[in-house]
Amino acid sequence: MLKLVSIHTSYNNIKALKGIDIEVNKGEIVCLIGSNGAGKTTTLLTISGILKPDSGDIFFEGESLKNIAPHNIVNKGICHVPEGRRIFPRLTVIENLEMGAYSVNFKYQISNFKNNIEKVFSLFPILKERVKQPGGTLSGGEQQMLAIGRALMANPKLLLLDEPSLGLAPIMVSKIFKTIKEINEEGVTILLVEQNAKAALRLSHRGYVLENGTIKLHGSGEELLHNEDVKKAYLGE
Amino acid sequence: MRQSRRAEEQKSRNLNVRILLRYCATALFAALLFLPFKGLKAAGIMFICILTLLSVVSLLKKTKIIDAIKAIHIPEIGRFRTFFIPVLLIASAALPFILKDYYIDVIIMSGIYILLALGLNIIVGFTGLLNLGFAAFYAIGAYTYAILNTKIGLGFWASLPISASFAALAGLLLAIPALRLRGDYLAIVTLGFGEIVRLVLNNWDSLTNGPNGITGISRPLLMGFSLAQLQYYYYLVFVIVIFAVVVIKRVESSRIGRAWIAIKENEIAASSMGINTTKYKLYAFTFGTFWAGIAGILFSAKMQFVSPESFTFMESILILSMIILGGIGNTYGAIIGAFILVLLPEMLREVQLYRMLILGIGLVLLMIFRPQGIVGGVKGVHFRS
Repeated sequence: MLKLVSIHTSYNNIKALKGIDIEVNKGEIVCLIGSNGAGKTTTLLTISGILKPDSGDIFFEGESLKNIAPHNIVNKGICHVPEGRRIFPRLTVIENLEMGAYSVNFKYQISNFKNNIEKVFSLFPILKERVKQPGGTLSGGEQQMLAIGRALMANPKLLLLDEPSLGLAPIMVSKIFKTIKEINEEGVTILLVEQNAKAALRLSHRGYVLENGTIKLHGSGEELLHNEDVKKAYLGE
Repeated sequence: MRQSRRAEEQKSRNLNVRILLRYCATALFAALLFLPFKGLKAAGIMFICILTLLSVVSLLKKTKIIDAIKAIHIPEIGRFRTFFIPVLLIASAALPFILKDYYIDVIIMSGIYILLALGLNIIVGFTGLLNLGFAAFYAIGAYTYAILNTKIGLGFWASLPISASFAALAGLLLAIPALRLRGDYLAIVTLGFGEIVRLVLNNWDSLTNGPNGITGISRPLLMGFSLAQLQYYYYLVFVIVIFAVVVIKRVESSRIGRAWIAIKENEIAASSMGINTTKYKLYAFTFGTFWAGIAGILFSAKMQFVSPESFTFMESILILSMIILGGIGNTYGAIIGAFILVLLPEMLREVQLYRMLILGIGLVLLMIFRPQGIVGGVKGVHFRS
């Protein structure tokens, strides 16, 4: 479904990605793990078009995304939940969700809006209670739910999640991860970036380990979870 | 038990003394700055005034009045729409029959500034792009009509769309390169643009008649009937302001308005929601400067005279103050802010010398007591993100 072919991306002089090959198949949860500065977020930003790669190519359903503007990439069915939630603090919960439905064939959205809202509310019942509250008054975990719900409003085929567990209490983390699984079971492919490697690998079908802008290891979630190097470097054993 | 309480009392007394000393120092500093200009007596009065002002503010802080004022939420006008708006409209329509010419004149000026504030509010308030050169677009609108009228003899109604689109075009052309910059840098570029326009108007003698300005601009005609009389001109401005408010309100609650607000709130999130941020920023600039063009043509038709002096940097700052005063990003706030900042200096004409001082103090107090502006939409809630 998504295929990255030897992607190089840099911030001015600093090379952040040095030839990344990733493949995500339909219906999978794939996670990218790695230490700080390994290039996880950069990979996601490159996929969603906010950063442009220096070389290499990205294919989504057989089509190159290289010269497509970020807002058009959203229209193709790739939705990015950026790191640190980034909800709209002054808009209410419902307005935030409406913003998520901003793109993608306008007519289609109108006919599906109610449906999508119901779907989001059944995944995150707490949002229904807070529907008229400004987004900025929610707790961190609720904001993360809002950010994911907002992305789902666009009916994505592929959801890019950047550290959904960032700054959340352990109980919230397991809740969010459970929801990610539910979303996946409904047919949304997920590419997940995580620091919380253990939980992420348990959840994922496959995983990639990034180090210094290259892919160090790659395998099924189970394999990586029991790999000695990964254990030493990321699982703290 | 008693001892600890006594110690606490002592502590709080110490704190009070320290705060009082700090206020004394602040007031003394201000008085010293004042000394060379006005002499010892005035400096002494200054010292006492500032000291009492600071003490009063700190007392108010203790009584939590400040928090109460911050928390006042002016009810959304929408809720009382059926009652308020007709009353307001009828009252404004009746004004020319009641007021003296002088006041009608002032209200016409405030109408023009309302248009400017509404325009700038689209750029700064909705989209969050700081623009410090807004008077330039006002000037372009005004000079377009002045030149078209005096050189070619084009009438007001034919010039109205031309003036407005010229200003909007200038906004678009400035925005295309300038929007690569963010925040403070964008503000500096727009500031520079404002100065460039003023200097061009000042020096292009053959077209703009330089610092002498253009005279003999004609007043608008409506079906062969001159709108020269103040009352008629009042109604012209009135109708245009109503039209502007309706259009801007509609756009604000449309997809475009929502996109603007999203960009202001969080640009990265907006673009990951599929909003073409560059496009909508260009829309905001063009749409905002369009209203500046209309304000410009109304100004030059009213004054029958334009000169570069009317479009200085101070003018841009004044318009910005209006929307900050009213509550940034709020259409009704922009209207109220513009109205107050035009009306207040006129009302304070009695105390000529000190009116800018009073205005300044008023703005400072507003920022202390109600930082979100008079009709601010924030409702004193603190947000986390």
